[in-house]
Amino acid sequence: MKTILVPVKMVLDANVRPRVRADETGVDLSGMRLSINPFCEIAVEEAVRLKEAGQAEEIVVVSIGPAKAQDTLRQALAMGADRALLIETADSPEPLAIAKLLRAVVEQEKPDLVILGKQAVDDDCNQTGQMLASLLDWPQATFASAISVEGDRLRVTREVDAGLQILSVPLPAIVTTDLRLNEPRHCALPNIMKARKKPLTVSNPADYGVDTARRLTVIAVRPPATRKAGIRVSTAAELVSDLRQTGVL
Amino acid sequence: MTVLLLADHDHHTLSEATARALTAAKQTGNDIHILVTGSGVSAIAEAAATLEGISTVLVADDPALAANLAEPLAATILSLAGQYDTIAAAATSVGKDVLPRVAARLDVMQISDVIRVITPDTFERPIYAGNAIETVKTADPVRVLTIRTSAFNPAPAGEGMAEIKTIAVPQNTWRTRFEEETVTKSDRPELASAKIVISGGRALGSADRFRDVLGPLAERLHAAIGASRAAVDAGYAPNDLQVGQTGKVVAPDLYIALGISGAIQHLAGMKDSKIIVAINKDADAPIFQVADYGLVGDLFEVVPELEKALG
Amino acid sequence: MPSYKAPVDEMMFLLRDVLDVRSVFADMPEQADTDEDTIQSVLEEAGRFCSDILYPLNMTGDVEGCRLENGAVITPKGFAAAYHAFSEAGWGGLSASPDYGGQGLPRTIQILVDEMLSASNLSFGLFPGLTRGAVETIEAHATDNLKTLYLPKMIAGTWTGAMALTESNAGSDLGLLKTTAKPRDDGSYTITGTKIFISSGDHDMAENVIHLVLARLPDAPAGTKGISLFLCPKFLVRGDGKPGVHNNISVGALEHKMGIHAQPTCVMNYDGSQGWLIGTPHRGLAAMFTMMNAERLFVGVQGLGVADASYQTAATYALERLQGRAPNSNTTSPIIAHPDVRRMLLSMRAFIEAGRALTLFTALEMDKEKFHPDPAMRHAAAGLVALLTPVIKAALTDFGFEATVQGQQVLGGHGYIREWGQEQYVRDARIAMIYEGTNGIQAQDLVLRKLTLDDGQPVAHLFGLIRKTLNTAEPVPELASIRHAVQNAFTHLETVTKRLTDGDLSSTEERNAAAVDYLRLFALTCFGWLWLKMTLATRDNSDQAIRKLATAQFFADRILPQTASLASQIGTGSAAIMALPAELF
Repeated sequence: MKTILVPVKMVLDANVRPRVRADETGVDLSGMRLSINPFCEIAVEEAVRLKEAGQAEEIVVVSIGPAKAQDTLRQALAMGADRALLIETADSPEPLAIAKLLRAVVEQEKPDLVILGKQAVDDDCNQTGQMLASLLDWPQATFASAISVEGDRLRVTREVDAGLQILSVPLPAIVTTDLRLNEPRHCALPNIMKARKKPLTVSNPADYGVDTARRLTVIAVRPPATRKAGIRVSTAAELVSDLRQTGVL
Repeated sequence: MTVLLLADHDHHTLSEATARALTAAKQTGNDIHILVTGSGVSAIAEAAATLEGISTVLVADDPALAANLAEPLAATILSLAGQYDTIAAAATSVGKDVLPRVAARLDVMQISDVIRVITPDTFERPIYAGNAIETVKTADPVRVLTIRTSAFNPAPAGEGMAEIKTIAVPQNTWRTRFEEETVTKSDRPELASAKIVISGGRALGSADRFRDVLGPLAERLHAAIGASRAAVDAGYAPNDLQVGQTGKVVAPDLYIALGISGAIQHLAGMKDSKIIVAINKDADAPIFQVADYGLVGDLFEVVPELEKALG
Repeated sequence: MPSYKAPVDEMMFLLRDVLDVRSVFADMPEQADTDEDTIQSVLEEAGRFCSDILYPLNMTGDVEGCRLENGAVITPKGFAAAYHAFSEAGWGGLSASPDYGGQGLPRTIQILVDEMLSASNLSFGLFPGLTRGAVETIEAHATDNLKTLYLPKMIAGTWTGAMALTESNAGSDLGLLKTTAKPRDDGSYTITGTKIFISSGDHDMAENVIHLVLARLPDAPAGTKGISLFLCPKFLVRGDGKPGVHNNISVGALEHKMGIHAQPTCVMNYDGSQGWLIGTPHRGLAAMFTMMNAERLFVGVQGLGVADASYQTAATYALERLQGRAPNSNTTSPIIAHPDVRRMLLSMRAFIEAGRALTLFTALEMDKEKFHPDPAMRHAAAGLVALLTPVIKAALTDFGFEATVQGQQVLGGHGYIREWGQEQYVRDARIAMIYEGTNGIQAQDLVLRKLTLDDGQPVAHLFGLIRKTLNTAEPVPELASIRHAVQNAFTHLETVTKRLTDGDLSSTEERNAAAVDYLRLFALTCFGWLWLKMTLATRDNSDQAIRKLATAQFFADRILPQTASLASQIGTGSAAIMALPAELF
């Protein structure tokens, strides 16, 4: 493979508890810690491992988001990506618009493989990779837990409801990552410093001629309903008797 | 308003997820067609025909569809798409894999993981691992939906039989090759649809103990077995047992968490269960905050006592 | 269960909003590229390393401890691998000179990473910390030959450093030390003697240990003016740069001690070991002291780091632990609802944030001292560093220890047992009040030497900065009561300082008797000043701003008044301390 493209998204840090804004317009992100989406981090790690194994020559990372998403790209560069593209936009485009922008990036960069996170942990859509595959008319292997290169094909183990499914897809292809694909590395300090000097180009959606207008109107974002407080029981017998009373046993 | 619903099945039985997704589909339109895809699926088609509220069963029977691969499956759905206002599927690994591929080709923004249909174009869906619920309204001419099945009751069996029609499957040289599938075999009910789920965490300590402690209790209660991510990562249970944000989302009548601390990702996968029981030796474990019944104790002692109390 | 997360947001707030490091670094040619994004990436990754790799080894390392087998130190399980990962990731070279493979980043960042290391695993953090001390000493004073031979390996972490100063009869008074150095024909020396309390003296984590040993030459005058500094490797370095034969350096014993059990504190025997002179003969102590400010800042931040780790566990616990009923509540409440628990947590937090601010302020002055092109700026910075070093070393470790006790208290019985890690923090924090010059010695240094240094210019400079902040805060109505409390504390400090420098308490005995209380008064006033600076730097209604304002108010209302009592107790003079004849003790 010559090039692997890895799209990455900056999201509210997975360790921060999201707080819904009182006016129900969304989740409050101001002043909150933002980080690389964990599934995207796994995607970068997998690409770097493929490169380290001599299976790819170059890794390009791309992010579509606010100027601050440069931090996320720098992290990917510190992990081992070679070059970064930021398509800067203040409104957070939906997966369909993201997929269209990524199609334009693919046409420009001509990667042999695109690895994406299976979903972003903010909107939880789980769509972008499949949509990109569709727009490009490329084969896809989603929810990957293992990847190996076999000639001009990829052998991908997928986590499916029934267990594990193994597919073979020819390149170019789209792969989306599941949690167990790998454990992302800790970046070395010299690599963090070198990442500052790696090329990062900034453009905007209009440069790619893509309309990022939203298709869905968000009417409200609310906290989930809370459960009523439970009770403590002290013995297994007490538990069984209580459960019998509810009729569930 | 005509709806196309993709049937979910394992080539032997129609999954309960389909009946649950149907309940959601019925709230989005009044004429519902169900698409059964696969190879040798006539029995599945007949089962689908008995579901209440289905007017037509479309059968796409072709060896290329046997493994639910996204390419032929999307092409099959797209060959029918023009006739429908809504295209829906249960948010199973197949539905999640294929529907975005359909949506993009239709230039439609899909709505994932619908948990409530407010009007046929307005839906509720969880975001941030269920820490927030978003209400969205779509302006697209066609609605593409995946349904979080734990949020809907299964549609009952109907009185009659829907009409069954075989459709032509688009032919192509599909590039993706199916190699193999490792299916976890179990006589127990399926995790996603079981009435009772017993889940184990890392406190079980080993794969053997996970099996030996949970197995007999699950047998006794006719329950499905689930696991926390920590238990799966530690190798105590296979990945398809994982309950949580990134695993299966379940909402059984009774959910028993054994030695699970209750990381937020796990809670996202089970907090809609009707009754939650937590057994953990750490009295401060977050799982107790969502539990209806909490028992602080060593699960290796409590579980045998529980079996005894059940008689 | 407890966990540690590096407070990168807090650190960035100080760097960006309070100290504006970007514009400070912009004036320094060697640091012009050190922008906030770079700093944040470095801190986040360092924090990840500490949380993921070092923190999980903290309790296991404490339980297992180091042991001596066949004369060699075995570190606890996981330490060698973690050290390998640490070095591999280049963390040892963060602030080291690029000439020898370091990244050349400023002290300001180094000290924040040191805080994370101390918080996540103090025993571990001492290995790279001591290596850095040795590296800085070698770089400042050794010959080019020694630098080329040793620095790249030490900066890469392949070899570690140890500082061999103390002997059984020479502790705070190093003038009494007896280890000897005899010249050899080849220009090197033969070192003979026994040293005690040698941190990282030996271990199994790296292929060589480089000892910097204080010893006397045959013609040395008595006392501190007759001590020279020598480099003694555990294994002599071969022509190809690899470790070769053993240099007759052996571990006599491992000290049995209260805390930092995973850190090998050794009795070291040098039995005719070969060593090389660093710097000029008889000027060894002066050479060692060039890195003393940095080392003391490092020890101060150990107190801070351990306190923050204890705080994080205590705060999490207080939010989750249901016990008792809050005032005006009918149901069992999380203990955070109880005023006394809040008092303890706020005391910890108020100290930790102000202590971190003081550390960073001083570290930034050290960077100015090193990198600023203007000699006048460098001189002024050096004065502030000299003045604040003993304050940071003593106050941060004193208050840090007190904070760990509060963090333990929040958990009640669960703080006393091992499970939650709180009792370990108490034991580990204790050493920082003792080593690198006891806190009593630090107070002496402040009162006897630093107050009058340079005709009192540094202290006048600092007081000027405090006055300036008080003036800036004057027109801000919502800060009025905080400002008032800081003004009061500052008035006490000014008054007592005047009495100590040229008033009724200026005799050596009076200054001695006042020293420890005075250092505390000095530190509390500095904390008050920095709380005012921090509240001035918050603008919006963010959680952070709410937290800063509330904590500042707590500090002003509930802690800063202690300055009045300190001033009053110092004011009574030495009489009550000196009255009892020694034989009646």
